[in-house]
Amino acid sequence: MDLLKAIVERRSVRSFRADFVPEDMLRRLVEAGIWAPSGGNAQTWRFIIITDGGSIRRLKMLSPGLLGNPPAVIVICQDVAKAERKGAKLGKEVLSLMDSAMAAQNIMLAAYAEGLGTCIVRSFHPGGVQKLLRLPEYIEPQILISVGVPVSMPKPPKRNFDIVSFQEYRSND
Amino acid sequence: MISSIETKAFELVCYMVTSACNLLNENRLYGPFRLLDTASRLITILEEEGVKSKRLGEIRERIVAGQFSVMEDEKVFTDFLQDLVLALIPLMEDGTV
Repeated sequence: MDLLKAIVERRSVRSFRADFVPEDMLRRLVEAGIWAPSGGNAQTWRFIIITDGGSIRRLKMLSPGLLGNPPAVIVICQDVAKAERKGAKLGKEVLSLMDSAMAAQNIMLAAYAEGLGTCIVRSFHPGGVQKLLRLPEYIEPQILISVGVPVSMPKPPKRNFDIVSFQEYRSND
Repeated sequence: MISSIETKAFELVCYMVTSACNLLNENRLYGPFRLLDTASRLITILEEEGVKSKRLGEIRERIVAGQFSVMEDEKVFTDFLQDLVLALIPLMEDGTV
């Protein structure tokens, strides 16, 4: 699939069919995430793929932004202890989150190319999800991505393209 | 033995309590959105438990049709909320209230 086509056509999907997503497909999506850039090449992310129905139900109870009934959820975590060792305060507080976001975008584009729908979710209780998934204290969940076959593709929200300046900032307000 | 409705109610309560906590630091429009979603989920639970209500079904349909405008346009979302409230009034006259 043409990359720009995937970028323009990807949508946040919040309604999924019951079809399950094969494990090898989910692994390919996460592999796309692993190929994202990371600050200082830290690569301190950790990925958890959840397909168990009961586990997803429990995750939903602590994740108000996780909507619909996705057959799979990818949890992008960061080893924040390692992120701090590699990148100091900036690494832990800023770069790790940027890295998770870049990995998330790769995953969502790869999913679109496979005919799947996804939604990135940050409306969850991080401490609760950490406890629910029995993560060590230094492994922090940062992003959830619901994955599944979409019921339909939502229409795109408007985009404002009048926000680009060359050489120096110019306000268009 | 835990009943099916107890399980569903528990899940809804978890959603609401977690929302209450998280909304302290989220987009202010998410508050109304979560309330709508709670209403929609509650209607679904009641339906699954045998409470058949035309007016509740209509409210849920309206919620589902408009709730995601919160992501697109604040004015569209707020107009939708206003219209939704006004749509409740004829339903109040549906015999029982």
